[in-house]
Amino acid sequence: MAGYLIRRILLGLLTLLLITMAIYALIRYMPGNPLATDAAMMNPENMPSEEDIQRMRAAYGLDKSIPEAYAHWLTNMIKGDFGSSFAEKKPVLDVIGSRVTNTLLLTVPSLILAYILAIPIGLFSTARSGKSDERLVGVVLYMLYAIPSFIAALFLQLLFAVKLEGTAFELPLMGTKADDYEALTNSEKIWDLLEHMILPVISFTYVSLAYYSRFIKANMEEVIRQDYIRTAKAKGLGPFRIMIHHAFRNTLIPFVTLLGLSLPALLGGAIILEQIFNWPGMGQLYFRSILTRDYPVIMGLTFALSVLTLLGQLLADILYAFVDPRISYQ
Amino acid sequence: MKETTAASENKKSPGFWRHAWLRFRRKKLSMCALIVVLLLSLVAIFSPMIAGTRPIVCKYKGNLYFPCMAYFNADWENPIFQKDRFRKRYPKNLKEKDPDSWAVWPLIFQDPYRPVRNKEWEDRPGNPFNGGEPSSLNIFGTSKGKDVLAMMVHGTRIALLVGFVSTGIAATIGIFVGAVSGYFGGWVDIIISRIIELVMCIPSIVLILALMAVIEQPTIWHMMAILGFTSWTGMARLTRGEFLKLKESEFVAAARSIGVGPFRIMFRHILPNALAPVMVPIVFGIAAAIKVEAGLSLLGFGAPPPNPSWGTILNAGMTNYTEWWQIVFPGIAIFITILAYNLIGEGLQESTDPRLADPKD
Amino acid sequence: MTIALRFSLILSVAGLTALMGCSPDDAASTSPNSTDAVSNSEEDASATTDAAFVLGDLIPEFNPPTKEDLDKVEWMDKPVVDVYELMANRKEGEVAMMTAAEALAVRNKTPEDNRNIVSAMGTLATDGEINYSAEWNRHTSADIRNTNPLMISSSAEFDVSGLLSMGLFSFDWNFTPYGNAGSLVSWQTSSDGLMDMVVMRDDLTWSDGEKITAYDVEFSYQVIMSSAVPIPAVRSGTDQLQCVKAYDERTLVYFHFEPLATNVWNINFPIIPKHKYENTIADDPTLASSPVHVELDENPVSGGAYTISKRVRGQEIILKRRDSYYMFDGQQVRQKPHFETVRFKIIENPNTALLSMKKGELEEMMLTPEQWQSQTNDDDFYKFNTKSYALEWVYYYFGWNFRSPFFKDKRVRQAMSYAFNHQELLEKHRFGMDEASTGIFHRTSPWAPEVAPTSYQQDLTKAEDLLAEAGWEDTDGDGVLDNVVEMDSNFDGESEGSRRVPFEFTILTSNRPDRIAICELLQENLDQIGIRCNVKPVEFTTLQETMLGHKFHAVFAGWGTGADPDTSENLWTTKAIDNGRNYGCYSNPEIDKLFEQGKRELDLEERRKIYQKIHLTLWEDQPYTWLYFRNAYYAFNKSLRGYNYSPRGPYNYGPGADTIFKSAEIQ
Repeated sequence: MAGYLIRRILLGLLTLLLITMAIYALIRYMPGNPLATDAAMMNPENMPSEEDIQRMRAAYGLDKSIPEAYAHWLTNMIKGDFGSSFAEKKPVLDVIGSRVTNTLLLTVPSLILAYILAIPIGLFSTARSGKSDERLVGVVLYMLYAIPSFIAALFLQLLFAVKLEGTAFELPLMGTKADDYEALTNSEKIWDLLEHMILPVISFTYVSLAYYSRFIKANMEEVIRQDYIRTAKAKGLGPFRIMIHHAFRNTLIPFVTLLGLSLPALLGGAIILEQIFNWPGMGQLYFRSILTRDYPVIMGLTFALSVLTLLGQLLADILYAFVDPRISYQ
Repeated sequence: MKETTAASENKKSPGFWRHAWLRFRRKKLSMCALIVVLLLSLVAIFSPMIAGTRPIVCKYKGNLYFPCMAYFNADWENPIFQKDRFRKRYPKNLKEKDPDSWAVWPLIFQDPYRPVRNKEWEDRPGNPFNGGEPSSLNIFGTSKGKDVLAMMVHGTRIALLVGFVSTGIAATIGIFVGAVSGYFGGWVDIIISRIIELVMCIPSIVLILALMAVIEQPTIWHMMAILGFTSWTGMARLTRGEFLKLKESEFVAAARSIGVGPFRIMFRHILPNALAPVMVPIVFGIAAAIKVEAGLSLLGFGAPPPNPSWGTILNAGMTNYTEWWQIVFPGIAIFITILAYNLIGEGLQESTDPRLADPKD
Repeated sequence: MTIALRFSLILSVAGLTALMGCSPDDAASTSPNSTDAVSNSEEDASATTDAAFVLGDLIPEFNPPTKEDLDKVEWMDKPVVDVYELMANRKEGEVAMMTAAEALAVRNKTPEDNRNIVSAMGTLATDGEINYSAEWNRHTSADIRNTNPLMISSSAEFDVSGLLSMGLFSFDWNFTPYGNAGSLVSWQTSSDGLMDMVVMRDDLTWSDGEKITAYDVEFSYQVIMSSAVPIPAVRSGTDQLQCVKAYDERTLVYFHFEPLATNVWNINFPIIPKHKYENTIADDPTLASSPVHVELDENPVSGGAYTISKRVRGQEIILKRRDSYYMFDGQQVRQKPHFETVRFKIIENPNTALLSMKKGELEEMMLTPEQWQSQTNDDDFYKFNTKSYALEWVYYYFGWNFRSPFFKDKRVRQAMSYAFNHQELLEKHRFGMDEASTGIFHRTSPWAPEVAPTSYQQDLTKAEDLLAEAGWEDTDGDGVLDNVVEMDSNFDGESEGSRRVPFEFTILTSNRPDRIAICELLQENLDQIGIRCNVKPVEFTTLQETMLGHKFHAVFAGWGTGADPDTSENLWTTKAIDNGRNYGCYSNPEIDKLFEQGKRELDLEERRKIYQKIHLTLWEDQPYTWLYFRNAYYAFNKSLRGYNYSPRGPYNYGPGADTIFKSAEIQ
């Protein structure tokens, strides 16, 4: 097992390297560069002198060829220096760090909510499988699964922020805080934050919720058909004890491996939603830095997301091996 | 007793796919979904005849023409409608320039690519440019002067095309790559798995944006290809898993022992057996492709204008919430389409899963 | 009186960023990051920063005359103006048609309503009417990165810096330059036009108590002209000066290379305190990384009417009035700034900003046309606010590239202008509120021809005829015109031979729905006459890069107008193709000559004639299809008064925001 782990980690590092190379080449190859939007280059009345242009190019790292510049980034990165953002003139890690909390504010509650709600719904669906109330729930869940999150976001905004404006049910249209946030008391601040979180978290959660409940149900259906469950029933155990004590525990592990796979979504899953809700998180940062060709930030974000993705996959694979004795890694 | 056994012995086994179809047919919801998709396909195929400003068929100066086909491909508009100051505006010009002409018009006289102007069709007023609420002339309202219903009808074409083509491309790549990786194993598998990981780790939006930016003249076909190139990884992994399992089977060993080449084994023998589980993500993939295309158009990075995709209408709605019809109607259309595909996918999954087989079938 | 910064920068950044259609996000334009510059050069060891820092190393060699020499020169007086009085004089001649109260009760639905509101709201304060302890909540769409006036590169930074800085010069609503009576005692120009001398007042102080002297100005000039300081944006203009020398604490002379009419614009550059930077700049020429400089940026020493009292990153910037600006030795020596506090609220999304206005939390903002049209007409909006608009000299156009095989021929370009449906553009896309543009100068500009050219109206027949004249016909019967033209597929100006090609081209525009819609209109119009036009929306940075490289056929964009007509030299002369903004590679020797003449012509009447000729020649050549002039649309809280519009909006001129006040009457 240890050998397998080491191999996987080494391979993961190799993949990471390849990813950063590929992304760097891609974004440098894209037309447009950060110099083009520098104020000096946009002044219609004047053009900076050639020397100044060369100096600016050097400052943006544009004077080097793509492999050279990539090597430069890599050597710095290994030392822990991710460079500074072109747009905000602060170190990339600071820029990302300031936005991580916002994204986590969105993704972590929604992850927790999805898991907590999915379990009872899944169990309920298994217990009442085939009956009309379960079929109704199933249909509703299914329909929820079919609504793309950005559509739901737009509808929710339309309903709660526009149509219900001025009523008690009104919710904020976008952003994380009201304009007079600073002036609020602490408890008011918390309430304001919660109010702003409601619509985005709902938009982010319901899809996972639908998927997880159905996942649990599907797994439970399979488990329930096993012989040992029939034995338990024959022994006279009550349905709830059977379900929760015997059946559910066997679905837990695949369920938890899902966690591993949803790790990257924690940080990168919400690009479109963050645009719609003007939520200052990492998705919005990613989008914006691509538009402004802020190379250091793009590389920093890609690196972070790739690390998470690879970790998540490794975790999922290990847990699978843990569970299924047929799969073994030497 | 003897008769029934004899009877059941003489009946030929229906085969895997026919069997699956029989089971599928039983599922009411999935069948409904299939019908919805067929309806949508009909709408897409007949879109120029449902909504358009060009006649379906017309007789002009002694010849028969089908101007509405120009909606499929701009090159198919007959140049005769370019001459004599005809300028591709049909209703009044047909009558003026050739009193003997006749035309069969689409159901709704609106155009997805441009606003209809004053007096273009007899005495009808032109589309309102701003604040065009749903009205008798514009049933779904207008978006910057263009009729939303016409845009949605033609947008169906885009949605379904994007779904089929990009998923087709993704499936082809994914199945091929996964098959090769799973069958050959060893170094080939390791390298290909790394490539799969690579593509998976790059957020697809980033990849799509970058690729769209690099292309000089992006068209909707480029976009479909790019979508295909960024979404094959799931299918590759699944196929790989299936091939890993199946290559140890006896029929493969048998084929190998009589000297069948590896590619023939992979695609003639193993693939038909591995296909069933892969069909499911393919169908779900169609829904996903539609979703991604709408999302990209929503962000403003969809196909080049004028692009009557559902997502483009949403984009216009996002900047102006008071014009709610730009959000509600395309939103419902996207929802229904994705729901339909998901239901079909689920029905397919359940009808091809042997563990869920009902002995009655 | 406090506005005295690089006006070309005003134009470029405030105007241009909006014009080029980037969202407020993009407007936070990028500039080289300091640490990278340092680490890069350290890596290279071809030392720019390894070597000792040289202050003013870009200043050419020059031997300035002595003080005695100066006394021998013949000097002519230039205007030193108290612009507040100037405005008051202008207002005396204009009588408001309504009182403020009446105007606020009106909803801005017709042009007449607008006139009433603008004139009533623009009335200056009478004595005792001003509430000096008032607070003004202004809108900015991006946070500022620097407070150092030398590092300004975004419109947000410009707005804030304008209140923090003092300057010696400004220009009024007619773009006539003047010396600030608040800073100068006198301003003179030598009769040979090569020198400008000013004598500063001796009651100017920085916010830390030190006096503002001519040495500060000289020092600032030297810093700008130091290659190690990364501020090329401010440098263009200052590099047109030969030298700047302080002869004593109050006397300053600017030296020019030639006696040009445009010299007066180069002498205006931002000023930083010498005593704060002179010892620290050698260690950190970037002015933004050393702890000392970072601290200075957080708490800048300001020379203007306000100081920064608090900054909450990403949320707001709070400025407070400083007494030492208008008081000296216990006496009031300058206009007291009207507001005690000015708060800039940072709201990126215009929807959110509008919501904030409706709640009365934000008190001014620029409106998008959509917002003007449909989101500011209800009770919700009018509860706390009113809105008005005025002409701004910002025009939008279709730009044709002369290196494209299609648009070399004037007849083709004219055909494009005839093919386009200008009327629908103005009535529908611009809501009937903007005016048609008939050239680079607006008809109210002193540089525009006496008789404005007739604007193009859509005439498809004429367009077809012109195209046929130019040789475009559908020879292969596919519905698309074709012709034999010279190819230059990489747009480098070198022909690759002639070929028969169909008339199919791509027009670039930035990724905004309203601009895309205008290009789609062009596409539709051209489709009717057999031309295939593809609309390609591109990201802002791609658009910039593509235009700089001349690699396009057509583009939809806009320009603002500079204070001096010579600024458009950078758009139209042949030398501006490689080293300027002549993206379309327009080249006309006559125009080149006229611009050279215009720079040197010191007589105002004669100068006018030159630029009028330029305007008419350009109009005839149609290197652009000029489309419309965009108004400035603003929403103001009802409690604000005294705002007046100029062709550069309500703020970017003298007196600008200085006349705005809140009434002392209880509402």
